[in-house]
Amino acid sequence: MSKTPLACVLALCALLAAALPAAVPTLVGKAAPDFVLKSMDGRNLRLSEYRGQVVLVNFWARWAGDSRQEMPALDRINTTYHRAGLVVLGVSVDEDSRRAHEFADAMKVGYPILFDTTASIGRDYLLQKMPMTILVDRSGVVRYANVGFKRGDDRAYLDQIRELLRE
Amino acid sequence: MVLRGAMMAWLWAVIAAAPSLAAAPGAAAPPAADAPAPAVGTPGPDTAPAAGAAESPGVPLPDAPPSDFKTLDQEVQGMKKDVIDLNKDLFVLQEELLFPANTQVAVYVSMDVGAFFALDSVTLKIDNKEVKNYLYTAREAEALLKGGVQEIYLGNLKVGKHELVAFFTGKGPVDRDYKRGATIDFEKGVGAKYLELKITDRVTKHQPEFKIKDWD
Repeated sequence: MSKTPLACVLALCALLAAALPAAVPTLVGKAAPDFVLKSMDGRNLRLSEYRGQVVLVNFWARWAGDSRQEMPALDRINTTYHRAGLVVLGVSVDEDSRRAHEFADAMKVGYPILFDTTASIGRDYLLQKMPMTILVDRSGVVRYANVGFKRGDDRAYLDQIRELLRE
Repeated sequence: MVLRGAMMAWLWAVIAAAPSLAAAPGAAAPPAADAPAPAVGTPGPDTAPAAGAAESPGVPLPDAPPSDFKTLDQEVQGMKKDVIDLNKDLFVLQEELLFPANTQVAVYVSMDVGAFFALDSVTLKIDNKEVKNYLYTAREAEALLKGGVQEIYLGNLKVGKHELVAFFTGKGPVDRDYKRGATIDFEKGVGAKYLELKITDRVTKHQPEFKIKDWD
């Protein structure tokens, strides 16, 4: 008699657990792992050399459709906030650097594009879904980790950037 | 509401009067040589030659911070220094534990002039195994040109014969891509081993030169 309600409760719990998003481990609150990568124009850029500035690190991949939407939005943000002390770095995690170059060329963004062909930096930043946008504050601490991108998310980025620039 | 306002005013008055109460002659705390001057906040003709006044001669300015803050600031500065000293000791201890002198090998990079070579990266191989690949930013390369010496690798090696190969990449004369290697066979003894990768200009040939120096 009492087995049926219990089974229902258990099934409901299972459904709820499946519906709730699992806790995604991020580096928020921790020091941003330093990296040095070659950029599209041949320069080597090191994250720690931007200490004192707010840094937005956007991990993208050619095969991630959302990257195509996000990169123009980030370019607009970079154009507006670069003078205020914001640094935008795009990091490609594509294994094929030649095709990643072509993709980045086609996107025509004004901020530096770096290539993590060994995916070692991606591992350090616990990447799970592409694209992923990390905001690092002036003291080098990861303050926001935005996973994925959908239309309108750039407004949330602006709020986060303004907050960090004010500090 | 009026009663509440009066209570708040009385509380503020009590808080404001608290330091002078503590400094009153009848206070329980005995006067001590290192105690802050009791009446620095409210200087008067009788309190000027107090014990603590020797540390801050003259009448304090109205804007000067109270001695309590000064003491606190000194304590914080002292603690900061202690932390820095402790950090230094821990660093030395860590180096000694991780890289004991009898197995330690350190490789340094230096650059002289650099008119014929713009350094981009250095790859190190010890006994045919890649141990380091370092990309140089413009700032780092500039620091080397200004006389800086970089510790590029610190590791452990067994006593005996070993081979170090260093590959240098960058821009050579006429802004051409440039890649050169340098090799050294060295004997690791009981003590620490120091090797230096030296990038210099060979003016006669208008070419860069790459050498590895063994600091015995």
